[in-house]
Amino acid sequence: MDRRTFLKAGAGAVALSGLAAPAYSQGANARTLRFVPQANLANFDPIWGTQYVVRNAAVLVWDTLYGFDSNLQPQRQMVESEEVSGDGLTWSFRLRPGLKFHDGSAVTSKDVVASITRWMARDSMGLMVKALMQEFVAVDDRNFRLVLSKPYPKLLVALGKNSTPMAFIMPERLAKTDPFQQVSEYIGSGPMRFVRNEWVPGAKAVFERFADYQPRQEASNWLAGGKRMLVDRVEWIIMPDPATASAALQNGEVDWWENPITDLIPQLRRNRNVRADIADPLGNIGAFRMNYLTPPFNNVKARQAVMAALSQEDYMAALVGGDQQMWKPLPSFFTPGTPLYTEEGGEILKGPRNLDLAKRLLAESGYAGTPVPCIVAQDQPITKAMGDVTADLLKRIGFNVDFVATDWGTVGQRRAMKNPLGQGGWSMFHTWHAGADAINPAVYIAIRANGERAWFGWPDVPSVETEVTNWFEAKNLDEEKAAIRRLNKAAMENVVYAPTGFFLQYQAWRANVTGVGKGPIPFFWGVGKS
Amino acid sequence: MFNYIVRRVLATIPVMAIVALFVFSLLYIAPGDPAAVIAGDQATPDDVERIRASLGLDRPFLVRFGEWVFRILQGDMGVSIFTNLPVTTMIQQRIEPTLSLMVLTVILAVSVAIPLGVIAAWKQGTLIDRAVMGMAVLGFSVPVFVVGYLLAYIFALELDWLPVQGYTALSEGLWPWLENLILPAVALGGVYIALIARITRATMLEVLSQDYIRTARAKGAGQGSILFLHALKNAAVPIVTVIGIGIALLIGGAVVTESVFAIPGLGRLTVDAILRRDYPVIQGVVLLFSFVYVLVNLGIDLVYTLFDPRIRY
Repeated sequence: MDRRTFLKAGAGAVALSGLAAPAYSQGANARTLRFVPQANLANFDPIWGTQYVVRNAAVLVWDTLYGFDSNLQPQRQMVESEEVSGDGLTWSFRLRPGLKFHDGSAVTSKDVVASITRWMARDSMGLMVKALMQEFVAVDDRNFRLVLSKPYPKLLVALGKNSTPMAFIMPERLAKTDPFQQVSEYIGSGPMRFVRNEWVPGAKAVFERFADYQPRQEASNWLAGGKRMLVDRVEWIIMPDPATASAALQNGEVDWWENPITDLIPQLRRNRNVRADIADPLGNIGAFRMNYLTPPFNNVKARQAVMAALSQEDYMAALVGGDQQMWKPLPSFFTPGTPLYTEEGGEILKGPRNLDLAKRLLAESGYAGTPVPCIVAQDQPITKAMGDVTADLLKRIGFNVDFVATDWGTVGQRRAMKNPLGQGGWSMFHTWHAGADAINPAVYIAIRANGERAWFGWPDVPSVETEVTNWFEAKNLDEEKAAIRRLNKAAMENVVYAPTGFFLQYQAWRANVTGVGKGPIPFFWGVGKS
Repeated sequence: MFNYIVRRVLATIPVMAIVALFVFSLLYIAPGDPAAVIAGDQATPDDVERIRASLGLDRPFLVRFGEWVFRILQGDMGVSIFTNLPVTTMIQQRIEPTLSLMVLTVILAVSVAIPLGVIAAWKQGTLIDRAVMGMAVLGFSVPVFVVGYLLAYIFALELDWLPVQGYTALSEGLWPWLENLILPAVALGGVYIALIARITRATMLEVLSQDYIRTARAKGAGQGSILFLHALKNAAVPIVTVIGIGIALLIGGAVVTESVFAIPGLGRLTVDAILRRDYPVIQGVVLLFSFVYVLVNLGIDLVYTLFDPRIRY
């Protein structure tokens, strides 16, 4: 080989290697979806930790027996068939054939029994099933049986619901972990496997397509149907700063951003490579809860005073600005557009706000000007915005507001304290509920009013609880609706909590990403990149 | 010298013990509850209580502190409440980006700030001096996150020269590593450059008025030689001191910079851990930062001997 031939060959090799690398890299890039989630995936046991972000990642890795579709109906997922006895007490289930865990082992009924037993200990509906359960056994590898002491018509809802904790199926050895301890491995049978050695909590979580996953034949619809992955790899990139996430999306460094803040939407829409739309039509319900255990809100008239003057428009303007399409008035505790939605008893939140009535009700409550600790997390834009509006509202009514600006971690601790005021007790805190969790009492812990066992604020309203029981025992949709109407009325009259309005949030993605759907969870199946 | 180093290293033990006690006590009395964060918003108060008990957070202060100290003495920083990963693993995952950012920032700051400070002193009272000091005031005054956003907007979004965010390990190549760090290092370096430039100028002004500088001029030494050989070396001790003190500034600034540029470093780990009340991680990271700070101070004390032969230990 002479010098020139050598140089030509060398140059050709360099050129080829130079071309080959980008081609490979572009292909790999098209098979990798880079996603910015709503929060950090700090832990990954969806039964132990019930934050939404954990649930959202968990649906990739773990499968469920049933899954909600967009009509909020449970559909078979891992289950091939089920049969219920005429008296409604014995449920027999059969698993689909060929289901495998990510470690290669087959999914068996023993795994299901152990997983559901662990889930029951942590879920409000699961606890109800557990209270009725007489037998729960694996009949053979694919069949299992549940025997109840009393019919429980909402069983499939419980097994397929998308509110946390979901009834995920894990291998038996993991599912036998104490439900109040974390599992040590993240092995599921879902469409993606968790790449643990690439997990950097607070920065990155990686999921790779599970080649042995057996999707259902039906088209995918939320958590139901065939979960077909169009990408090989999903990377969750944690970005605490919305401005950074916005810039990264515009620059093509990420493909999909779960929750851009409303203020950034106009800027994102100006970029022709970016799309933005409503994330979840079920939206969210803004809320603040008053403490039933301490004055002044242990008196119903003080709570009603707040409701009489509360302007949902003010709250929603603080949350979503002037975008009228992003919010709705909500004279109800239930998600608009869902089957059980009702405005029964919601008159107190309708029409012009009545400050005089509020002042009169407050005087009748015997309020003597004691400070009202209103705890507001400043690190959550939603609670901060609502807290500022509430402080103004309370002052105008005549409350002596003790505005406690703090962070979400502290709110989590303080709201659990039942102490008197002045000893760590509190009067009010702000939060919000996903609309998907406010569709019926089974998944809606915030509407319960069973006193000491209720959610923070501990509302004690027996008439609400009566209607919760009536709903659970309803035999058809009409009976369910009737129970919810009465429940909503009782909850409004007694002010179980104060709804500040219904609001929507955006999601945004690169124009070359296809198949992004709307729902309470970012569903990755059916999402591809061109 | 060797004895001095040994003494100083041994002296870090009581310092670290005091830091440990202080950090643990502070976290104990600080409000917040990791169990509530873990349980999520749908959890009942009973669930939160059971998680708290399972994490051992309901036990007395002295029992928890004793256990923690016992583990630390064995080199075990514990396990994160949330991730179930050892704290040492989490620190290992994060130390490279932070170290890279800080080293690059120090190199950038020193190589820019010292010549600027020297020139400002040399041209005292001129437009150049005013411009340098004006930039220094700006560097001090503009918050790191504002500089960060501006840089990202101009160089990443508008010009598309550099990435907006992220970090690539040095093992994946020099340029991929560097391109992710240029903007954060410039953003973080602003305050540091300002600090070093100002102290360099002030010290140089003092040194330039000394008799031996006049002597050097009289014997015909060149301007560069006077500034960088005769004056700068004698002005080095306060400058090195400020560079060392500035490490603390960098640690604080790294927290913000890493958030703005989504760099998975120790700063973000600290913030995340504080927001979630992940006590073992907070304690581990603060101990590490304290240890680094003590070591940096020791290193600076030793560097003094290089510049001033009168200093001996």
